[in-house]
Amino acid sequence: MIEFSHVYKNYDKNYILRDLNFTVNKGEFIFITGPSGAGKTTTLKMLIAMENPTHGAVKFMGTELNDIKKSEIPFLRRKIGFVFQDFKLLPKRTVFQNVALGLEVSGVFGDVITKNVSELLKAVELYTKKDEYPLSLSGGEQQRVAIARALVQNPQVLLADEPTGNLDEETSKIIIDIIKSFNNKGTTVMLATHDKHLIADTGRARVIDITKA
Amino acid sequence: MIVFLKSGAGKKNRQNIINFINKINGIKKIKYYGNKSSMEFLSKRLKNLKSVLKNINPKVMPSFIKIHFKKSAVSAIFLSNIYLRLTSLKGIKLVYYNKMLENKIMQFMFFTKVIGFILFLFLLILSVFISYSAIKLIILRKQNEIEILKLIGATDGYIRIPMFIEGEIGTVLAFLVSISLLYSIYKIFIFYGFDGFLNFFHIKIIFLNSVQIAAVFLIALISGIAGTYLSSRKFF
Repeated sequence: MIEFSHVYKNYDKNYILRDLNFTVNKGEFIFITGPSGAGKTTTLKMLIAMENPTHGAVKFMGTELNDIKKSEIPFLRRKIGFVFQDFKLLPKRTVFQNVALGLEVSGVFGDVITKNVSELLKAVELYTKKDEYPLSLSGGEQQRVAIARALVQNPQVLLADEPTGNLDEETSKIIIDIIKSFNNKGTTVMLATHDKHLIADTGRARVIDITKA
Repeated sequence: MIVFLKSGAGKKNRQNIINFINKINGIKKIKYYGNKSSMEFLSKRLKNLKSVLKNINPKVMPSFIKIHFKKSAVSAIFLSNIYLRLTSLKGIKLVYYNKMLENKIMQFMFFTKVIGFILFLFLLILSVFISYSAIKLIILRKQNEIEILKLIGATDGYIRIPMFIEGEIGTVLAFLVSISLLYSIYKIFIFYGFDGFLNFFHIKIIFLNSVQIAAVFLIALISGIAGTYLSSRKFF
């Protein structure tokens, strides 16, 4: 499903990634680990065409992302949900509207939005707060909204960049459990983190340490 | 218009000239001034030089014909035409019809047109720039929102269309305000009779007709689209 083949990335003369090679199969749970500055975020950004490798190839579902046209990028991103460390929610939209945005950009309107968004908000246990604004929520709740938004388009892959970076241990566990529950339903997950506690509780997850790249 | 006759022009010649002038359409009245009446004419207008003028022999004064035209007939082309026809006649020394003033008016009208055209171009560029700046401000204000929308799969069109709509609403409002203001100024000009004054210089004040208003509206829309396109281009 995902393939990184001899991927190099450098900014000027500073190499972030050197000869990164790995593949991810459908339904897998992958932890991308490494210290700060190792290139975890860059690795994930390459999958949504926010970054291009300097050398090598990144493939998603058989498509080489280096060659993807600018006009095709939005359609690629609809297949890949992205959760950010800083949530990236719109403060002037309610919880419901923030999640619905994921469907609206795909041209979905009306009852489908109400049904899908409600289901997801129930799954992340935030349905009762659907009319509240993000800034009135706790960090953990905001991250759950961000997860719901990332999953509302029913993506094949969920990418999470340090999703628990701003959260306490207990809330982090809740977030990871939610992500795992979606992974159990078949969504492929790639989660970048440097938190060894999270990785210790991996279960069947696979760890890719990009420090070695 | 004043037609100066040659000093040696005879009575017959003079009468021919007067007859010729009388046949021209648009003549209100003509008056002939001989040497003596020419001196009187001058003395009336230069009262402070009376003592000097009384020592001058009236015979040296030129005889001339003063022509008054009907107001409705007067135009630059009409006067030029009369001027050319009169100068071709025998016995005429000089035809004076304040050509200088007419030239000045023509220059003024040309200058006004050039200034108007420059002003139009300037306003067009300004309107594009205003749309550009307004949309740029909107984009900067919404930059965070735009980034998030792009990350979750919004196409450029999905993000840009509301900007174009916002830009065009602003343009339409600006157009309505401008036209209302222009109409108010026009009405003020009419109310104070300024149009009559300008009419003297053959400059007519008219308000834009429906086609011209539609053209201005179209230009405003295009400038709005151009401004929005230029400002949003940087961010996509």
